[in-house]
Amino acid sequence: MQEIGGRHGHPKLKELVVEASRALSRLDADRLEELALSCQALNRALVHEDAEAHAMLALEAKDAAGDMAVFARVLEATRANLNVMNRLRELRTGRLEYREGRLEPGVSQASAWRRTESGHGDN
Amino acid sequence: MGTISSALSIMSQALDADQEALNVVANNVANANTPGYTEETPDWQENQPISINGVSYGQGVTETGATSERDRVLESRLDQQQQLAASSGSRLTALDTLQALFTPASGSSSSTAGDIGSDITSFFNSFSSLEANPTDNSLRQSVLSTASTLAGDISGAAASLNSQRSALDQEAAGTTSQVNALTGAIAQLNQQIQTTSPDADAGTLEDQRQEDLSQLSQLIGINQITTQNNGLEITTTSGQLLVSEGTSYQLTTGMVNGVTDFFVNNTDITAQLASGGGSLGGYLTARDTDIPSSLSSLDQLAYSISTSVNKQNNAGTDYDGVEGNVANSANVALNIFSEPTTVAGSAASMSVVMTDPNQIAVAGAGDGTGDDTNAIALAALNSSTSTIVDGQTPINYYSNFVTTLGSTVSSVQTENTAQKASVTQLQTQNDALSGVNLNDEASSMTTLERSYQAASQVFAMLNTIMASALNLGDQTAVS
Repeated sequence: MQEIGGRHGHPKLKELVVEASRALSRLDADRLEELALSCQALNRALVHEDAEAHAMLALEAKDAAGDMAVFARVLEATRANLNVMNRLRELRTGRLEYREGRLEPGVSQASAWRRTESGHGDN
Repeated sequence: MGTISSALSIMSQALDADQEALNVVANNVANANTPGYTEETPDWQENQPISINGVSYGQGVTETGATSERDRVLESRLDQQQQLAASSGSRLTALDTLQALFTPASGSSSSTAGDIGSDITSFFNSFSSLEANPTDNSLRQSVLSTASTLAGDISGAAASLNSQRSALDQEAAGTTSQVNALTGAIAQLNQQIQTTSPDADAGTLEDQRQEDLSQLSQLIGINQITTQNNGLEITTTSGQLLVSEGTSYQLTTGMVNGVTDFFVNNTDITAQLASGGGSLGGYLTARDTDIPSSLSSLDQLAYSISTSVNKQNNAGTDYDGVEGNVANSANVALNIFSEPTTVAGSAASMSVVMTDPNQIAVAGAGDGTGDDTNAIALAALNSSTSTIVDGQTPINYYSNFVTTLGSTVSSVQTENTAQKASVTQLQTQNDALSGVNLNDEASSMTTLERSYQAASQVFAMLNTIMASALNLGDQTAVS
């Protein structure tokens, strides 16, 4: 697990947000899941923090606000991309199912099945 | 029943087919680093079985060619996101230059556009200093000196903005030849593809066309429409035809009101290109929206300061006992700044015309030279009770202008970061999809879904932490 520096062993909010945006850009699911755990731990630890630590965190939160907006936009773009990929998958799946049952003139059944066969990997 | 020789024949054909398939794979490996290359998979065709005495005997398999693994929907989405990223990228570069102009330079001895805020304060403060000692010549000189610095920095900023606008104009005009070269190449490729491969994937030719489309997307906003026989029609995002199968339509330029406008078939499409995307869209947005908006704000500031200060100075009496022309138009005009006639162009032409410091009207109309009534009124032009610039004090107006500019830069920066991230994701997906089987495709989708879900969790958690922190003690723990 990579380390993110910060006070009292806590990562700085800004660093967390920037790292999350970067990880999401490169679709690093493992890193994002690590970050989710870090955020959970940070959130639990906050309950036991004193007033000074809370004041410090408020400053960090203000400092990270701009990067949080970037993260929100990257997340929004990812959702749009995920929608496109899901539709694409449906299209491809639909096309394959359609091709399997319908032979065009001059196309053999083996040729029509070639993609589905490669799909399950036992050819 | 099949003979040993027919079985050997089938095996021999299978080996030939495998050899052909290996050639396709070898070609994929050789082109692994070729930009825009789409991996190919071999096409297999079952040989017609023969029937002897009613019994069907298989005749093996033949490799009939190769098909590129491409997804036009994904490629199209990638092109679209590249257009947006390129547009916000080139606009951001221009905005960064613009913002740097209004950022105070640390350690510089000479005054620049970045010092306009402090220039305004110094200029109006110089009247406050003069109130206490209206006959002090050095304090009078100081008023003219600070006025000259303010006028110089505002006119210098206007000159820099105009110069930046010209540079962007040249950058924009320079993309025309690249756009035309690409649309011409795509039209040629359309012809080749339609001739050689009207009803199937054209492999390398389609890779080249996709590479050209990708480059074109970096330059301008486009729409792609697939036509019959594997052809392609390309329009601008506003629908102006650029390529129709084998024909390309040239983008031409012409000067309109001092800047380069863009035409296709004599139709001016400059405004459409500005909002369409690509680096050209970003250049044009900066040239036609961001810079004129900044220039307009500076013009308003220069016009209001010049006319208000001149009017107030003409409402008093100068050191030689001469009254300004507010009370009597026959009187001499005691103008400190050149008097603008229109708001437009006021910043570029702002200058100090007063050379004699004795003409500063410190005293009120009809009062003696020891009076400071008018100096107080001049200093008050920058106070909270005075709203001479579009309903605001000069310093507040300038401060709001700089804040708005910073906010625009920040917003475009956010958009650009998100769009670049989106392009990276789509390229990852495209690389994963082209030339792999459905298992790999499913794995790639799983990664995308996992990333999105984990990122959503991170976002929700961070949002909670930040809200809790900013609510100062209103703690919300999420387990």
